[in-house]
Amino acid sequence: MRLGFLVDLSRCMGCMACAVACKAENNVPLHSWRLRVKYIDQGEFPDVKRHFVPLRCNHCDNAPCERICPVSALHYLPNGIVNVDHERCIGCASCMMACPYNAIYIDPITNSADKCTYCAHRIEVGLMPACVVACPTHANIFGDLDDPESEISKYLKNHRDVMVRKPELNTHPKHFYVRGSTVALDPLASERPEGYTIFTEVKFLEHIGGH
Amino acid sequence: MIGAEVTFDVALPKIVWGWLVSTNMWAKSIATGTFLLGIYFIKKYPEQDNFFRKWLPILGLIFIGITLLVTVLDLHHIFRFWKIFFHPHFTSAVTLGAWVVSGFVIVLLISFWSWATGNKKLLDRVMIPGFILAFFSTIYTAGIMGEATAREVWVFPSEMISMLLSAMLAGSAAYLIIDALYGNILQEKVRRELGYILFGSAGLSAAMFIGELFFAKMHSEFSYEVVKVLAFGEVAPFFWLGIVFAFIIPMMLVGIANEYRRYRYAWIASIFALIGLWLIKHAWLIAPQTLPLS
Repeated sequence: MRLGFLVDLSRCMGCMACAVACKAENNVPLHSWRLRVKYIDQGEFPDVKRHFVPLRCNHCDNAPCERICPVSALHYLPNGIVNVDHERCIGCASCMMACPYNAIYIDPITNSADKCTYCAHRIEVGLMPACVVACPTHANIFGDLDDPESEISKYLKNHRDVMVRKPELNTHPKHFYVRGSTVALDPLASERPEGYTIFTEVKFLEHIGGH
Repeated sequence: MIGAEVTFDVALPKIVWGWLVSTNMWAKSIATGTFLLGIYFIKKYPEQDNFFRKWLPILGLIFIGITLLVTVLDLHHIFRFWKIFFHPHFTSAVTLGAWVVSGFVIVLLISFWSWATGNKKLLDRVMIPGFILAFFSTIYTAGIMGEATAREVWVFPSEMISMLLSAMLAGSAAYLIIDALYGNILQEKVRRELGYILFGSAGLSAAMFIGELFFAKMHSEFSYEVVKVLAFGEVAPFFWLGIVFAFIIPMMLVGIANEYRRYRYAWIASIFALIGLWLIKHAWLIAPQTLPLS
């Protein structure tokens, strides 16, 4: 079994239900995110377009975070999920330096590394990840990549425009996007000016973790 | 349709590894550099070996102590450091580094005991394992950087060569400073050779930095953006001051010192080299962290 995720970006409307469900389900502290939705505005009025991009851990088959973790706090589960052992973590932040997707954070309360685990605790009891349940448009498609009859496998088979983030890094992500674009998936393809925008303040954190 | 801009996003972490890690690399360069050069000079100039048998362990223990201190302080779980020895994950360069540095510390303690008791054979016996451990202690951080897939400007093996050159630069500078502080006790030929090592390692390091930044083929958009940050962005003052302090000024001053036998210039060159080395290591560490990854 290899569990994977697929986001159909044409269905995502940026409602953040997935991000809120994730925070509530996993008790994610303020200023930390396992799943976030980024808005990117492209073009010049009146020829404009807004991209909504849900971003979470890619659970790579060749995960740099798992390789660099000095104490195996980041480890593979038999179903392919890259899981975190908070008690094992020494807080060296090597995983944050290794992850090319910015998917890992230091929890300011536990001071351990943390990230999306595809809601491994829910999967264990036969439930879908919280973000999948909360999505009103079924943009999040989750399932077993090894099962040709799973919805995600059929989706991957039936769509030609499947993309992953930073394929050149050879991390083999198990998180796919359909109907995406370079602007949506490449962080350097858009400007990220710090300051207040029409919605919120775009900024960088001064500190990570609780020390 | 032109231009794209992020209009809604959460706050992202920026500097994950900061000055503590820069200090780690800087102090480790001095500790391993003084060891590697120390055993070279003990072998080459046995008549001057008392100086190196004394300062090799003292400088090594002080600076490897600083390295270990800042490493532990940088952990978010300081008191879980022991887990790296009891739950090791050997694909990680961090784990390999912790084990290698621990071995190096043991060699330094033996070297110290050798000097304190006057038992020269003790140091002679650990020279070869010490050389191997010092060598790998120097380069393991390059392994960590190589494994830091997200930061594409840190590339193995050029990072490894750069770190070995840093160790030579720092080691020769540290010995020249100690020699000057103790009233030029080294023979002139030894001092001149230390100067040549400082000159050569500074020149090669500068060539590597400048070459990698401005003449190498950029293998990704990320690397290209990092070069812009280093050369013209918010990290540029650190980077250019580092280049001038660590490489250009020391090369000029040590050149004058060796050419005109005015060795006080070598001492000043060494001070500049050590300050500049920290600056350039800091710039190199920070620059790739200023760009968004997602």
